[in-house]
Amino acid sequence: MIAALARPQVGFRVLGALYLLLAAPPLRTSLEATMSGHMLVQIPLLAAIGFVACRLLPVARQERLLDAGGGAVPYVVLVVFASTWWMLPRALDDALASPLVEAAKFISLPLLVGLPLALAWRRLGPIGRGFVWTNFISMLAVLGWLYIAAPVRVCNSYLVDQQESAGWLMVKLALLLFAGWLASLFVGGGGNPALSTAEQVAPPPAPSRDCGPERN
Amino acid sequence: MATYTYEHIPDQGAKAGVLAYLATSAVVLLLMMVFGLLMRLEQAQWISIGAIRFYELMTLHGAGMVGIAAIAGASIMWHFLRQYVDLSSRIFVANLVLFLVGVVMILGSVLLGHFHGAWTFLYPLPGKSMGLWSPGAAALFMGGLLVIGVGFLLLHLDIARALVARYGNFSRALGWPQLFGHDDGKAPPPTVVASAMVTVVNVIGLVVGASILAMMLVNLYVPEFDIDPLLAKGMIYFFGHIFINATIYMAVIGVYEILPRYTQRPWKSNKVFLASWTASTLMVMFIFPHHLLMDFAFPKWMLIMGHIIGYLNTVPILVVTGYGALMIVYRSGIRWDMGSKLLFLSLFGWAAGAMPAFIDGTITVNYVMHNTLWVPGHFHTYLLLGMVTMVFGFMYYLGKPSHEHDDHLIDRIAFWLFTSSVLGFTMSFLYSGKESVARRYAAHLPEWVPYDRIASVFAVLVIASALVFIGRFFARIGLARHDYQRAPVARSVAA
Ligand code: HEM
Ligand SMILES: [Cu+2]
Repeated sequence: MIAALARPQVGFRVLGALYLLLAAPPLRTSLEATMSGHMLVQIPLLAAIGFVACRLLPVARQERLLDAGGGAVPYVVLVVFASTWWMLPRALDDALASPLVEAAKFISLPLLVGLPLALAWRRLGPIGRGFVWTNFISMLAVLGWLYIAAPVRVCNSYLVDQQESAGWLMVKLALLLFAGWLASLFVGGGGNPALSTAEQVAPPPAPSRDCGPERN
Repeated sequence: MATYTYEHIPDQGAKAGVLAYLATSAVVLLLMMVFGLLMRLEQAQWISIGAIRFYELMTLHGAGMVGIAAIAGASIMWHFLRQYVDLSSRIFVANLVLFLVGVVMILGSVLLGHFHGAWTFLYPLPGKSMGLWSPGAAALFMGGLLVIGVGFLLLHLDIARALVARYGNFSRALGWPQLFGHDDGKAPPPTVVASAMVTVVNVIGLVVGASILAMMLVNLYVPEFDIDPLLAKGMIYFFGHIFINATIYMAVIGVYEILPRYTQRPWKSNKVFLASWTASTLMVMFIFPHHLLMDFAFPKWMLIMGHIIGYLNTVPILVVTGYGALMIVYRSGIRWDMGSKLLFLSLFGWAAGAMPAFIDGTITVNYVMHNTLWVPGHFHTYLLLGMVTMVFGFMYYLGKPSHEHDDHLIDRIAFWLFTSSVLGFTMSFLYSGKESVARRYAAHLPEWVPYDRIASVFAVLVIASALVFIGRFFARIGLARHDYQRAPVARSVAA
């Protein structure tokens, strides 16, 4: 299954099926019935489809797209704005009220969030990725708090208790993601597991400046 | 048992970035010390600047001192860690730039906007100034902290990247295979272990700190978004406690690296050493409730946890480091110069400063002692005689003209002056605390004033001796760039 997914043809077909499933009325209405389902399941899944689809593209194509957009940073900015938009209660209401906005949501999340994120991710080094993660996690937690603490009902379409449970879910999700991200630093061996530490320690990088240790 | 042999790594000169960090710290340190003196003089009723000025100075002093402690600590860590892993100079400099931007924002907020809600920005004070400062001033202050936090986050992410690139993951950088398995003597050096610990705890602390800052910024402009004050306090102290503690865990790297060069004995990352750092990695995150012992509304288990972990965490790293230093020095015939003397003194200062906290961390004592000058007595001891003294030791080490150079008389006098006046200064705080003098009071009762006057005199002497140290550092800053042997060889080795 996993191996098959790695083949682009199969992968695209699976993604397409998932996309249609999400768009088809039964799943769509049941997810949109609750705020949590709408914000924390449907929207992330739509973005994820864009992300995975981008990964299935040939590397050369991805690189070309990346260069066309001017590197990783503009894409990250695009992702931030596009995803923030769909976090606004207003946007959720509009999507439920107007088929046009709903269509915009189904198109923009994969294309303007998932795809550019996947493109940028390639070029973001470990620092950039860590920065995106830590920022995303703290923003998610703060957003969750906003939903919990909001003094008024923020959506026309959802009740206050929905709002609160969505908020708590976001806070919990943020904690979980943070724990997971930290744990990922503790396991695995991205580096040189073969080299034992002591061997690496021995030679300090040669001093880059002229005067040797013998000065004086 | 693994055996450890001393592996000589030649003394390296400091990169320009490290010197920029140290120069910034030195200048801000002196300025903040003068602000501290002004506060003391106000309490001593020798000057009268008024309560508002006092609290403005207190806000700047707190934020400024914590900030430069972190900057100075980071420079020590970076200088030595760079010799084991590949760190990015650009990120290092970016952190300093962001720090300076944050400092300007904070200065503007306090001096122009008259914000004076203390560096701990406890909710809901920043938003409830009763007209003494605007929401804009409070936002500028918290924004400044946020900018500084972003800089440190980047720095730690870079360190995390470099550690993972070299050691594979954090478990290995913390020496877990050797700690929990067979100690093959190949655990990462102390510098790496300490840097890994600081990185883990600071990243967690910074993310929590950034979250509460963002929440309070929203609340400032849309007060309807309520924050639970206890939650806010918990988050702020979680971040604040970790951040200030991390400064000493970074600075102690200077001790681990420099003292062994004097006696050519290795600083061992043996099981005990590794265990103490791993234990503190966890404990430093669960100890913050010791700031909340008076908040009866907090769940009881949290307070008890703060009490117990507060006791436990006083011990491991401190004892292991103190014992390690004694082993390095004992019968080594070490040549004492300003660098080694200051580093050795700093361990004493750290230990001495931890004791009052240990006492105050006891719930029953805390009811009486908390919010008295006992607390500033504790943290000024470990920060001034511990943390800042490590930084001075590092500065002397970097600037030492040659390994055989003898210290000037004036430096040697300044050393003893500094030691005794810091002790006098912090003892006055502690004694006032014992007499129940409240902390953070601009105006003191007549009975309290004598202690304030004694403390002011000591503060002047502290500043005078710090001036000598810092003046010497700036005079030698050109030498500090070069690679040459600095540590004099101990007699036992030379013989
Ligand atoms: C000559 C040196 C110093 C003097 C004269 C001084 C003086 C003072 C005074 C008078 C206070 C207010 C005490 C009160 O609550 O009434 C204070 C608070 C404080 N000091 Fe210092 N200090 C000095 C050095 C340092 C250093 C080196 C650090 C840290 C590296 C530091 C960190 C702090 C902090 C964090 C506070 C708490 C501020 C608050 O309560 O919000 N100080 N200091
Ligand atoms: Cu604390």
